[in-house]
Amino acid sequence: MDVNYQIPRLALLWVLAALLLVILPGMLRLPLWILLLVLGCMGWRLLIFAGRASYPGKLVKALIVFTALPLTVLQFRTQGVGLDAAVCLLILGVVFKLLEMQYKRDIVIVIVLAYVLTMIGFIYSQTIPSGLHAVLAVAVITGALVSLNRDNARNNFRNNARLAAQLVLQSIPLTLALFILVPRIAPLWTMPLPVPSSTTGVTDEMTPGDISSLGRSAELAFRVSFDGEAPSHDRLYWRGLVLDFFDGRTWHRSGSTFLDYGMIRRYPSENRGVPQGDPVAYDVIMEPTQQTWVYGMQLAEVTAGEIVQDRNYSLHTATPITQRLRYQLRSWSAFHTDLELPRALRSRALQMPEEDSNTQSAALARELRAASADDMDYVTRVLRHYREQPFFYTLNPPLLGEASIDEFLFQTREGFCEHYAGSFVYLMRAVGIPARVVVGYHGGEYNRFEDYTMVYQYNAHAWAEVWFEGEGWVRFDPTGAVAPERISQGVEAVFANQPGFMEDSGFSMMRFRDTQWLNTLRLRLDAIDYAWNRWVVSYDQDLQLEFLEDLFGENARSSLLWALGMSTALIFSVAAFFLLRGGQRQLRDPATRGYLALAADLAAMGLPRRTGEGPLDYCARVSAERPELAESMQSVTMLYVQLCYGEQGVGSEQLRQEFRMTLQTLRLRVLSRARRAGLVAVSAFSRQR
Amino acid sequence: MFSEPTMSPVNTVSFWFSKRVQRWLARNVPAVSTATLHRRNIFILPTAHGLLYVAATTLIFITAINYVLSLAFGLAFLMVSLFILCILHTFRNLQHLTVKGIGGDSVFAGEEASFTVLLQRQSGRMHEALELSFPKGLLTRADLIEGAQLRVNVYLQTKHRGVLKAPRLLVQTRFPLGLWRAWSMLDLDMCCLVYPTPVACSLPEAVSHSGGGKGSSTQPGGDDFHGLRNFQPGDSLKQVAWKNLARGQGLKVKQFVDSSDDRFMLDWAMFAGFDAEGRLSRLCYWVLKLARSDVDYGLNIPGVVIQPGRGDAHRHRLLSALALWQQLQHIESATGDAL
Repeated sequence: MDVNYQIPRLALLWVLAALLLVILPGMLRLPLWILLLVLGCMGWRLLIFAGRASYPGKLVKALIVFTALPLTVLQFRTQGVGLDAAVCLLILGVVFKLLEMQYKRDIVIVIVLAYVLTMIGFIYSQTIPSGLHAVLAVAVITGALVSLNRDNARNNFRNNARLAAQLVLQSIPLTLALFILVPRIAPLWTMPLPVPSSTTGVTDEMTPGDISSLGRSAELAFRVSFDGEAPSHDRLYWRGLVLDFFDGRTWHRSGSTFLDYGMIRRYPSENRGVPQGDPVAYDVIMEPTQQTWVYGMQLAEVTAGEIVQDRNYSLHTATPITQRLRYQLRSWSAFHTDLELPRALRSRALQMPEEDSNTQSAALARELRAASADDMDYVTRVLRHYREQPFFYTLNPPLLGEASIDEFLFQTREGFCEHYAGSFVYLMRAVGIPARVVVGYHGGEYNRFEDYTMVYQYNAHAWAEVWFEGEGWVRFDPTGAVAPERISQGVEAVFANQPGFMEDSGFSMMRFRDTQWLNTLRLRLDAIDYAWNRWVVSYDQDLQLEFLEDLFGENARSSLLWALGMSTALIFSVAAFFLLRGGQRQLRDPATRGYLALAADLAAMGLPRRTGEGPLDYCARVSAERPELAESMQSVTMLYVQLCYGEQGVGSEQLRQEFRMTLQTLRLRVLSRARRAGLVAVSAFSRQR
Repeated sequence: MFSEPTMSPVNTVSFWFSKRVQRWLARNVPAVSTATLHRRNIFILPTAHGLLYVAATTLIFITAINYVLSLAFGLAFLMVSLFILCILHTFRNLQHLTVKGIGGDSVFAGEEASFTVLLQRQSGRMHEALELSFPKGLLTRADLIEGAQLRVNVYLQTKHRGVLKAPRLLVQTRFPLGLWRAWSMLDLDMCCLVYPTPVACSLPEAVSHSGGGKGSSTQPGGDDFHGLRNFQPGDSLKQVAWKNLARGQGLKVKQFVDSSDDRFMLDWAMFAGFDAEGRLSRLCYWVLKLARSDVDYGLNIPGVVIQPGRGDAHRHRLLSALALWQQLQHIESATGDAL
């Protein structure tokens, strides 16, 4: 009917504040010129508000729109039609709308888009701060709506803020119920994902120096919680990729080994792993890596989710991991894999660089093999070589030249795990033993507050797998031969004082791990973050069922909708009770109540008020029948009529007083007469109180 | 006189529907002079803005499903909760509000009738951003925040003379978020008298005076200057002889009528040639004009004869007689086109 009237001035400030708040977290993702344009438009709107500028003309508007839109498209052309471009266009649309926002309808559109922008923030980040930010944003947007609909003296900042906060807080119980109980549905169609930023973590290539550079980072890689007892530290090998192609300097995934996700999904390789004993089940929440593989302990079995296992027992996802990912695995610590080594795999595990300049190493390998009884003995001799020769385990290894294996084994002898793993596999292959490099993480820090293990980037590790007839692939960690404490206690224990360790993390809580209370605080904060991710961010169908089974027992699935309806109704009723209660006691105003009491007294005297009889008619009748009461009856009636219907009488405190006095004396007279006549019970008078 | 709804199928349906609504309201929200708003007479539905909000919530929900964003689910649920909670708050903004119909002042047809209602609140309740209106009438905004009560005028365009029974008063609010509209349709049993529209005209040559039909060619209020007399309280300032006052001759009033016979009878027959409404309008004009002059005037229309007199009450009697002439049977019709 009247959606078109003007915007209350205060509402505009609220909307601008809400919009700024909503755009704030995503600001750094915007290209600089778009950011400037957005701030410029908001500033312009403020100037219009202050009366210092006018609304843009049609020409200016057209100019802005028709330059900004093609430029945005150009900006994002290289990245394709992605989410980032869409978000940019949406933000631009909202700020342009600001400039022509004159009527209530326009402002409501902006407000509704502000809600959508709040949601878009979650595509990029779902941390606790972004959750709190969203609640704050919703409160401010609600404040804008309140301010828009309240055009009176109470429309000031404090009142609006209080009402908005009240509304949001009151909605929280119902929100929680809906969050827990509304059935979660699988995605309806695939959506464009944010363009990945740079990848993090272990990569699918290994050149000497790659993994030691990860040692400089104290960023979290993933968190694991075990069902039951966690395996001991030296068994926590988080297996990532198998690197089996060596070009003389760098280890790669061999191209043909890597089957893309769809292929593996369609033609799963038959399970060639033979598990033994009991598996350990665990739950991993992985930080985004922008890569397509995940980590688990050999020999892993995928229990749920969109993860597949390739023929090298590596685990892959369909799309790069841009959000925290939660998955569940079961692993056997005792197993045999590939008891029959297919020819293709065998030749890949024996591949040597075409132009091999590591002649010294090849000679050493042949020498050691000649002295060994069998392949197993040879492996032992090689490990002993690492242990007995002056090899050093360091985070800052010297740079290596062309013949990297020779240089490492015979000259520098200082290296990180990739040096040891690479040279070890080379020594194996040089004498015809199938071997390959595996990269991943090793170890982790136990957090006792939420019972889980944190694995950091500096836990990145490389080791080797060697194939034996009748055994399959066997894991060897040559680093352990050089620095056994690395395996038993962890990399932190070895490198705590070495320059470079965690150096890239800047000011990090990790630096204070020696200070007891700070370390406790750090673990506690991480535990909160972990719980948030485990119970809130990764809350899905499975977790929902798990939770409901705890509550309702077996048939949780069927009682889900029932519980949803009941709890919604219950919360609504409670809110309704507290908001809408009261009221019935003061149904009539005091004057009417007094007058009705008088009428009741008169009725007891035999003069009841007839239905539909107005006060004036009643007064005339009473006066005629009881002349002795006429005068005071008339003054009471006149005062009553004035109080209820009079021009200035309504709300006049003086009249009210007068009425009360006159009424009281009249009623006393009526009552005394009635009592004399024995007609009335005294209780009638007390009814007024 | 009263335009019947044209009977196209759509109009027939909406007419039937509005009849049904009226009947339902009459049964469930009966006419009373004082109505307190409560569960049974407050209605509530989402507004257009509310539907836009629901659309945004749906968009967020679908995005949450497709991107598997747990927190976006949370946001959508928070918005749903706010939406649902807003029902209670909007309802609460009307609940326990007492609306008392005080009545309307008499107006001339074509003017806006002003009905006064009294809004009363209970302690602890505030009623913000209230909108009161009659169907197709002007919107009156009110906020009952401080003080126990508030007088509010609500306006209604009048069309025909007669008794105007106020249609159902719409009391509505969109507070606090504008997502829901709570309203009540109250029949506060208010009436006002609508006088005929005055139509300016001159009197015909043959005019009748009372007092045995003594003929006189002097027209009351005409342009012929008759003389001066002393000013009396109640005389119109327009007729004060300012020039004489300036000459120091005291406060005099110009007289335009024969002072020897200032009893003037307005007669139905004066405006022969016009239809009934036309006659009433012209009589009305002359009643007003004579009320400002210095004559006793009376009225003689079929079925009603009012002896000459003067004063506000007398004027009101004459105007009422004009307003109600052959009108009593139409009182109910005024409510017919409500909603």
